[in-house]
Amino acid sequence: MKIELLYPGVANLYGDLMNVRYMAQCTGAEVVETGIKDTPHFTYEDIDLVYMGCTTEKGQSLIRDAFRPYVDALDQRIDEGGVTLVTGNALEIFGQRIDNEDGSSEEMLGLYNTYARRRMMNRYNSLYLGMLTDFEIIGFKSQFSHSYGEMPTPLFETIRGAGLNPDVTGEGIRINNFMATYVEGPILIINPLFNKYVQKLMGIEVPVLAYEKAAMDVYKTRLAEFKEPTRGFIY
Amino acid sequence: MRLRFLLALWMAKLSIPALKITKHNGTNYPGELAIKICPEFLKYVKKPKRIITVTGTNGKTTVSNLIIDSLESTGMKVLNNRAGSNINSGVATALINGVGLFNRAKYDLAVLEVDERSSKKIYPYVKPEITIITNLFRDSIMRNAHPGYIADFLTDSIPPETKLILNADDLISSAVAPNNERVYFGIDRMDTDVTECINLINDVRVCPKCGGSLKYEYLRYHHIGKAYCEDCGFKSPEYDYVAKDVDIDEMTLTASDKGGSMSYTLISDSVFNIYNMITVIAFLREFGMSHEEVHACLEKVHIVESRYQLTRAGTVDVVVQMAKDRNALACSRAMDYVVQQPGKKEIFLMMNNFSDEKKWSENTCWMYDCDFEFLNDEDVTHIVATGPRGKDYRLRLLIAGVPDKKIDFVSDELEAVEKLHFEPHTSIYIFYGTDALALMGKVKDKTIALATQYTERG
Repeated sequence: MKIELLYPGVANLYGDLMNVRYMAQCTGAEVVETGIKDTPHFTYEDIDLVYMGCTTEKGQSLIRDAFRPYVDALDQRIDEGGVTLVTGNALEIFGQRIDNEDGSSEEMLGLYNTYARRRMMNRYNSLYLGMLTDFEIIGFKSQFSHSYGEMPTPLFETIRGAGLNPDVTGEGIRINNFMATYVEGPILIINPLFNKYVQKLMGIEVPVLAYEKAAMDVYKTRLAEFKEPTRGFIY
Repeated sequence: MRLRFLLALWMAKLSIPALKITKHNGTNYPGELAIKICPEFLKYVKKPKRIITVTGTNGKTTVSNLIIDSLESTGMKVLNNRAGSNINSGVATALINGVGLFNRAKYDLAVLEVDERSSKKIYPYVKPEITIITNLFRDSIMRNAHPGYIADFLTDSIPPETKLILNADDLISSAVAPNNERVYFGIDRMDTDVTECINLINDVRVCPKCGGSLKYEYLRYHHIGKAYCEDCGFKSPEYDYVAKDVDIDEMTLTASDKGGSMSYTLISDSVFNIYNMITVIAFLREFGMSHEEVHACLEKVHIVESRYQLTRAGTVDVVVQMAKDRNALACSRAMDYVVQQPGKKEIFLMMNNFSDEKKWSENTCWMYDCDFEFLNDEDVTHIVATGPRGKDYRLRLLIAGVPDKKIDFVSDELEAVEKLHFEPHTSIYIFYGTDALALMGKVKDKTIALATQYTERG
C-alpha cells in the first residue's frame, strides 16, 4: 500500500502533513513524497491515496505551474476511482481562478467550476461541524479566501460553520473519490470515522486506527464541545 | 486637526497620573485614547530625531531591552515602549511620554519594539532610521497565517529610506524589503549544527528563486542556517556581522566584521539568545560604537530569563517553562531545550489557550506542527497531560512514539499534579502558555509542596 504526499516542500502548513504520517501508522502504507520539480508518482505507479495539504499564496501558484502537465492524469485517476484528499487552500488550486482584492486574478487548473476570492486583510477563523454520510466531521478553518461560482457536489454537509463560503452549507468538493475540503489540519487524526471511511475507499475492508481509543476519546470530547449551542464558532 | 491632536495629547497625558493612582501604569491606555480622539495621532506627535525599531517573531523584546540597556549604560536617554505594548497604541503611549504638553520632543533617540502585524498602522507615521528584524517564524495560525505573509506585510510597510539589520541565517526575514539598504548578521557553523532538518516545521524547503530542493551547509533548527540551491546557485546572504567560535562551555564568542573582531562573554547558553546577542552587537556597531565600547556595554547588561524558572524542592528540581500556547515553533524550541538538559525528567503539559477555551474551542492544528517527538526520549520518564486539551496531547504524544505507559491524563490541572511521580533527583518541567500565569502559579506551588513532602519522606 502506498500514499503519495504531493509537494510537501511547499504544501506543509497547519499540521496537515501529520495526516499522512498518521495514516501510514494506521495502514502500514509506504509514503512517497513528490517534490515541486518531480513527476507525481500516481502518473506511473499504483498509489492508494494521494494527499496534498495547505500552502502559502505563492505556493498555490508554484503548485499550479508544477501540476499543470498532470491535470489529465488526475482526471483519469478520478474517473478510475483513485482516492485523493486535498485540504485547506490547496482546494483552490484545482478551481477556475483566484481573485485578489487588488482586482488581479490568477488562473488555476480548472478541474471544477468554482473560483476563490482572496482577502489578505480578512482572515477567517472558525470551528467546523459537518456530516458525511452517517457520521459527523469536526475541524478547523483558518483562511484568507472562500470559494464561489458553480457549486459542485459537496464533500460535507455543514451543521455549524461555513461551507465553501459562509453563505452555503455545502463544504468541500467531491468528484468520485477525489475529495477537497477547506477543513485544515489534522482532519484524519481528530476524525477517526472519516479516517476509516477513507481507508475503506482505499480498499481496506477492515480499517484499523493507530491509538484508536485515544483518537476516539479526542473525537467524542471535541464533538460534544462543538455541539454545545453556546459555544462560539467564528473567532 | 491641530486642536483635535492637542486635545488627544492632553487627554492622554491627563490619563497617565490617573492610571498611576489606580495602579494601572504600564498599559496602552494613553495611546489608545489618543488614537481614538485623533486617528492620525501618530502622524502629528513629535518624534525623536533618531528612531530604531525592532521587530520579528522571536527575540524582539530581548533585543530591544538589550539595546536600550546598552545605550543607557553610556548615559544616553532612550525613549522606549518596554513598559507597554508593541502595537500602535503602545508606540503612541511611548511617544506621548516623549513630548511635553505642547508637543515638543524631549528625546533625541527612541528604540521601539514593533509587532509585525501592527507595522501597517505604525510605519506610515513613524519612520525609523534603522529597523532590526530578528527572524520570522510560524506563529499563531489564526493571526499570522505563515511567515511569508508576515514578510510581505513588512515589505509593504517599512519605509524605503529605512536601513535594515537582518538575519542572514533566516531566508524569510532576510528577504524583506529587498530594495532597502541592509546589513546581515548571523552565526558561523557551530558544533551542534546539522545539514538535514529534524523539525516538523521548515518553511524554506525549496529555493525561493527556482523552486529547486534547497540544501544547507549547516542548519540549526527549522529553516535557520546557511542554505544554497544546487539548481540555480542561489545562496544565503553573506554575513556583515558574524558570531564565530561559539564556545558554550567557556561561554564565549568572537564577533567579527569588516572593522575588526573581539571576544565577548555569552549572555546565555541558548542559541536563540546567541542570535539576540549578535543582533545587538551588529546594531551597536552600525550605531557607530567600537568593539571595545560594545563590549563594555554588554558587560553591564543581562537578560531576564522569565520563561525558565527553576526551584529546588527537596531532591527534585521544579522548572516552569513557558511554551507559548498555539505556537508550534515556540513549543518545539522549548521541548528541544528541555530534553537537552541533563538527567531524568517528568513533563507536565498545560499549554492550553484558556481564553479560546472559554469562548470557542482551541484550534489545535499547531500541535501537529510541533515537535512532540522530542519528548520521546529515554530520559523523559513520565508525562502528565492536563487541561481542556489534555486528551489531544495524549494522542499527539502517542503518534510521536511515546509509550502509553509513560503518559497520564487528568483533566483538572491541580489534581493532575498528584499524578507526578516525584522520583528523587529528577527534574519536573511544567510547560505553560502565556494566558495561564495564575493557574501555572498554583500548579507550581502545589508541585513544589508535594515534591518537598515526598522527597523528604524518602
